[in-house]
Amino acid sequence: MTATNLADVEYVVRIIAQTAVDKEKEFGDFDAVVGDGDLGYSLARGFEKVLADWDSYKRDDVSAFLQQIAVTITSRIGGSSGPLWGTAFLRASVTAKQFDEITGTAAVAMLRAATDGIKARGNSDLGDKTLLDALVPATDELERMITSGANAADSREAFAKTTRERAEATSELEAKRGRASYSGERSIGSPDAGALAVAIIIERIVAGWPER
Amino acid sequence: MKKFVNNPQQFVPEMLEGLALANPDTLKYVPEFNLIMRADGPDPNKVSIVQGSGSGHEPAHVMIVGKGMLDAACPGDVFAAPPFDYVHETTRLMASPKGVLLLVNNYTGDKMVFEMAQEMSAAEGVNVKTLFINDDVSVEDSTYTIGRRGVAGNFFVIKAVAAAAERGADLDEVIRVGEKVNSVTRTMGVALTACTPPAKGSPLFELGEDEIELGVGIHGEPGRRRAKIMPANDIVEELLTPIVKDLPFSDGDRVALMINGLGGTPISELYLLYGQAHKRLAEQGITVGRSYVGEYCTSLDMAGASITLVKLDDEIESLLKDPAEIPIRVF
Repeated sequence: MTATNLADVEYVVRIIAQTAVDKEKEFGDFDAVVGDGDLGYSLARGFEKVLADWDSYKRDDVSAFLQQIAVTITSRIGGSSGPLWGTAFLRASVTAKQFDEITGTAAVAMLRAATDGIKARGNSDLGDKTLLDALVPATDELERMITSGANAADSREAFAKTTRERAEATSELEAKRGRASYSGERSIGSPDAGALAVAIIIERIVAGWPER
Repeated sequence: MKKFVNNPQQFVPEMLEGLALANPDTLKYVPEFNLIMRADGPDPNKVSIVQGSGSGHEPAHVMIVGKGMLDAACPGDVFAAPPFDYVHETTRLMASPKGVLLLVNNYTGDKMVFEMAQEMSAAEGVNVKTLFINDDVSVEDSTYTIGRRGVAGNFFVIKAVAAAAERGADLDEVIRVGEKVNSVTRTMGVALTACTPPAKGSPLFELGEDEIELGVGIHGEPGRRRAKIMPANDIVEELLTPIVKDLPFSDGDRVALMINGLGGTPISELYLLYGQAHKRLAEQGITVGRSYVGEYCTSLDMAGASITLVKLDDEIESLLKDPAEIPIRVF
């Protein structure tokens, strides 16, 4: 049993890739505040390859599609971001196999698998000032909305809003993982670059959803 | 620093090409992935044993590919973990119905790449596991690691798992053997000089004319402490004492003893170290059952050495005795 309704998944991946390429400089500037400034460059090199290879990916089912994305970005994104983002896509790919259709519930399960994968690969957890501090609470909120019977549009809006709020709130945290951790307490006062990048990506996905 | 080098960027590919040309009957070179594999591999009747790491540690690991040792090695550039796609493609190429074991020295960069390749290949249906080697006693954490580093003792893990695989053991059994050998293997090294990566052209770090670095890792990264040069017997004591205490090795034990050269030390000096280590162990009631002297896991041209002890039992000793055919040979 494997979901084959690819259109929504293709849309999400395409916006992630396009945003990473469009916002290369901005993401790099976020990272330069406390990290080493290479986040924008790293993500752009990986996702521009995704866009270049777009037509060559096999589209047998959602899982197979996402796994090819995982291979591309793990190979092309330098430093630790490659295995971290690659793991997120790979775990989402494996989880997609459990669903006949990619519904909101499936999306929550795939997001959960992705963030768990990032935790495991990066030996990191909530509070370490990473993108997890935005994406995990946003996934919780999305799940809460869906479970409470909210309509899809409201659920998406709440997902984007929570991601943004929690990304901004990483300013208060001290970096414990990655290059930014070398700056220790000096990282307090600036938001995490990865969390901000995820917020911008999700805002774009949600804003464009009706016309996807 | 004078080096045999053309284009530093081509240092690793040119080395691998030479290795393949020197061993046309036994080795196959796949340039796209820096891959050196057995010409007759993968063998569907045995677990494939693969190790990767940065280059610069030769003969580890590309020159110990052959029957009874590694089925393949996929190195990165000098002192850099191999890229993910090299390890991923190597795993796919070496996929045997009996499985693939990826051996990794415990350095953070290598760990992340190999775990990722293992997970990706497993999702594609390859039966593959990873085993991390962490035999270094000198530090709990170092510049590039989470936890103890994997250094020259990895040779014993490779030899034992490869022998078990040749005998037909399944993947779980091969892993059991590897974990067991890793758990009784301890190493500590010392650098007399820094090393010079070809692409850099100058020494990687500064070590004074009269200084040595005790507990050094295989990239010259610092270990326990920096000390003034001392007589060779005193250096043996500085290395052997922490090793013996760590496991601990004790009266009545039978061990394998390795003196590993780090690349720039003559074999004469290695045998001088061996003699003292052997005698000091005997004084503590520890018998050397198997001895290894030479270059196994190096740091380019670094002058220095490491000592490894492995606690032997009948199973480990028997596996270490099995035959192996690898490119390093003296006749």
